Amino acid sequence: MEPYRAEQDPQELAWIRSAQQGDGEAFGHLVERYQKRVFSQVFRLVRRREDVEDLAQEVLVKAFRAIRSYDFRSSFGTWLSRVAVNHCYDYLRRERAQPAIVSVSPADREASQPTALVDKLHAPDQDPERQAVLRDLVGKLLERAPVDDRVILALKEMEGLSVDEIGEILELRPGTVKVRLFRARKRMLEDWRSLRQGK
Amino acid sequence: MRCKDVQTMLIENGGGERPAALREHMAICASCQAYANDLESLQAGFRALAALSVPEPSWGFAARLVRRLNDLEQGGRAADFLEQVGRRVVYAAGLLTLLLLLALVLPASGPLRGPTTSELYWAQADTGTLTNYTILPDEALEGRGLNSPAPNPGSSEGKQ
Repeated sequence: MEPYRAEQDPQELAWIRSAQQGDGEAFGHLVERYQKRVFSQVFRLVRRREDVEDLAQEVLVKAFRAIRSYDFRSSFGTWLSRVAVNHCYDYLRRERAQPAIVSVSPADREASQPTALVDKLHAPDQDPERQAVLRDLVGKLLERAPVDDRVILALKEMEGLSVDEIGEILELRPGTVKVRLFRARKRMLEDWRSLRQGK
Repeated sequence: MRCKDVQTMLIENGGGERPAALREHMAICASCQAYANDLESLQAGFRALAALSVPEPSWGFAARLVRRLNDLEQGGRAADFLEQVGRRVVYAAGLLTLLLLLALVLPASGPLRGPTTSELYWAQADTGTLTNYTILPDEALEGRGLNSPAPNPGSSEGKQ
């Protein structure tokens, strides 16, 4: 007898069981319920607006193919997040291995460098321009951070998940999540400080 | 408190409320204050990233996905069927090949049997014995009174 999760409503359980028998329509109901969450996680992890829908579709197709392996131990949402995070993780690693060749003019390249962004940080704290610069700068730092750091920081700082929730998704103990989060934050901060000090 | 401990606590704390001991140290330590300011800027950058609007699924996204899943499911069933048939054909071909090899390698047995290995051996032995006889012209044999067929050592006549 499989463990039953009280927080899953009976309708959702019925859809899951039908989807496990290969019912695409039943899976469609689950997609409608969870698509926003999948889009959000993919966007936070990959940060490429134009790729989000394709990646979300790949995640959901993968989830449908793997749904027989869902054993009801975690909530369906957590299981789906795990599929999404793993898929984005693979995508980011592939992307890191094969950097895209994009034609950018030297002036644009210079302007988009993190060092150029640091120079624009002198505006007051609440200034919208400063907020935009901070956002772009942290985005650039995330792009060059190790993929593990990028994933865990995106889940914590942008998705706002708790340590326990991240542990469930990444299949790690809360203590391990805390250690990895600490190291990732520290590395990001060191990178930030090196930029500010012009190293 | 040492600066290193303070900085570790600041990172662990993230954007949370700082304990009094931490605040007291930062009030007198410019280095840790600068560290805290950088951390705050980083957190502000994360908050600004989190505030970005997430792209919405395009209209009919779920319906298109269901159609694709149904196609995949049907394609998958057809592929399973073809795979099953293909696997059986391969097994049958393998079995036939094995039977053919067995028929060629193993000696035939039964009422219509051919020469066995031992019979072939004896036939070779007979040929070898015959080669030991000197082949003489007919005239010489006539002179010796031996103009008769050479006896076969294997036969009963030769032994007499």
